[in-house]
Amino acid sequence: MIVLWGPLRLLMMINSLVLRVGRFLAWTALALMVIVILIQVIYRYIPTLDALPWPEEAARFLMLWMTGLIAPSAYRWGGFVAIDMVPRALPKSVAAVLMLVLLALAAVVLVVGIGFGLRHVTSGCSFNSPTLYVPFTLKLDWLSPCSTPIFEWGGFAWARVKLAWMYLSLLVGVCLLLAVNVELMLRSLILLLDPAADVPEDSAMIAAGAD
Amino acid sequence: MLIWFLPVFLVLLMIGMPVFFGLLVAPGVLLWLSGQERDLALLYRNIYNGMDSFPLMALPFFMLAGELMNRGGITLRLVEFSQAIMGHLRGGLAHVNILSSILFAGLSGSAVADTSALGSTLIPAMEKNGYSRRFAAAITAASSVIGPIIPPSGIMIIYAYVMGESVAALFLAGIVPGLMVGLGLMGMVRLMADRYDLPKAERIIKVDQTITPSENLIARGMARINFIGLLWGAHVLIAASLGVATAPALPTLAVLAVVTELFFRLMRRRMSEPVRIVYKRAIVPLQTPIIILGGILFGVFTPTEASVIAVAYAILISFFILRSMKLRDLPSILTKSALGSSTVLLLVGAAVAFKTVVSLSHAPETLAEFILSLSENPYTLLFLINILLFIVGMFLDAGPAIIILGPILGPIFVDIGVHPVHFAIIMSVNLTVGLATPPMGLVLFVASSVSGERVETISKAILPFLAVEVVVIFLITYIPAISLTIPRLTGFIQ
Repeated sequence: MIVLWGPLRLLMMINSLVLRVGRFLAWTALALMVIVILIQVIYRYIPTLDALPWPEEAARFLMLWMTGLIAPSAYRWGGFVAIDMVPRALPKSVAAVLMLVLLALAAVVLVVGIGFGLRHVTSGCSFNSPTLYVPFTLKLDWLSPCSTPIFEWGGFAWARVKLAWMYLSLLVGVCLLLAVNVELMLRSLILLLDPAADVPEDSAMIAAGAD
Repeated sequence: MLIWFLPVFLVLLMIGMPVFFGLLVAPGVLLWLSGQERDLALLYRNIYNGMDSFPLMALPFFMLAGELMNRGGITLRLVEFSQAIMGHLRGGLAHVNILSSILFAGLSGSAVADTSALGSTLIPAMEKNGYSRRFAAAITAASSVIGPIIPPSGIMIIYAYVMGESVAALFLAGIVPGLMVGLGLMGMVRLMADRYDLPKAERIIKVDQTITPSENLIARGMARINFIGLLWGAHVLIAASLGVATAPALPTLAVLAVVTELFFRLMRRRMSEPVRIVYKRAIVPLQTPIIILGGILFGVFTPTEASVIAVAYAILISFFILRSMKLRDLPSILTKSALGSSTVLLLVGAAVAFKTVVSLSHAPETLAEFILSLSENPYTLLFLINILLFIVGMFLDAGPAIIILGPILGPIFVDIGVHPVHFAIIMSVNLTVGLATPPMGLVLFVASSVSGERVETISKAILPFLAVEVVVIFLITYIPAISLTIPRLTGFIQ
């Protein structure tokens, strides 16, 4: 058992921390989305101003990152929709085994997803965003696999944003989901071996519902 | 081979796989087994492409707007307003509950938000007035179904996006069906009031209410503008139906303004001071649906922009008029909305990926053949599909159900001559009612946790109301005009 408790505690600590940062960035992104779209509406309806090209894409950029950063928290707190009638009707031990099998399947999906995600992000290096610019060129290449130099400062000049930065949001989301998935697997493994085990819950939990 | 993805998916779903993973595992495994690895990459890319959408952004924004209005205390004002209007009828508070749901539906697009917001104020109030708790919980759950039928509606945004329909057309098509559900429920309450001798409430007006001078001024102005708008709309409609040209705008507006002022003076004399204050306090919040629908209708903004305007308006009201919110409340509200919408966005992405495999697999053709072999009569088929949707709705939430079934069923029925918007409404209303059907109804669970009554007990008490809603579903199904008239009159569909 100790072999499982150690990694679980460590992973829970890391996940709690990383996901808290993720939630902070996600709500900030949502707030920025509101502001950006308001700017779009205002610019269109004030006669002396021209309609802006960038707010729509900027808002989509923010929405994708919001999703990638906060969806793992929802997964961790049981916010992913599932029909749990059969697991609840089964005897506890059988349900625990079933749960583990389902989590393992999900893990396979996520691992395969990371592979495709990496290729997807790389492909995004060859495309520029149509409307988004940043006032500097900073190559954070340890993050995005776009070109060889690492952390090269390119000076102040307007540069187009690579689409890879948008594509990265889903990949980050999938990686975080995998981290949560492993945590959930460890939990149910412990509960399978010792149904009376007192597995700690995440204290920051909020009930997530959508409909 | 690929055709097996549907049974595999259903089995995964039944044994408790989260819908998001089920949507990816089932087609993924089959693509892999049949050696089409290249399409697996397509699956991943389409999750991304599915989420990368501007129209879809209305979803988090409407969720945020609803959350803001709820926390800002707007719900309470709507309930007081409904009490002033309907509280004196037999079964008064039940009617108040339904009317509040209708009004709240114009501000938010979610049944769950409706149940938790209205349930927490109205269920205790109903209990205090002599209703049983399970009746109170049941009517709250049954009426909150109106939330996603009357615009704005999260479910319709999803349907419009996944199926490539116009959000505006679906929103407009939902108005009458939503009102019908409300009126139907009120009729049922009326019947039950005689049979079970439901308590009659006195017209409940809180006497100690106040309104700030500035809000008083704004509310008076807005009420008059609304009324003038109403008269102007009637004027245009009458002129159009008689085939005469409308009168010149400025003089007409002047006349309408005078009529409005006289009407308001007349009404003022007939109402007591507290009643007027309750009415006035509801006017500012009730501008939200007018802004959303008016903006979309007149092409001032897109549904996504309308949703942002709704957010801005909610912030404006709660910070400056109601003064019920502080800056430090915002992070938790934003987090909750982001959390709720992220799961739906991921689901939509997975559904778009799933849809590509659906079309690769020829499943729609096979399924269409099967369905058409049952009958060629659209009416019979619509009956059968309603039964199917109702059963699905018992087990699955409306959003995921629409995401899964829309792409499969929609094209079949459009092919046999059902209007796409009509089918969208049938599907949305049916699956929304499914949110309140046992054994797995999201709204039932929320009503249970708000009221403390057991889900099984509420499930029994809700049956008469569900019967009404089933009748409405069939009315909508067999009388297309119910849903199609408003979008047609406004030119959003042919």
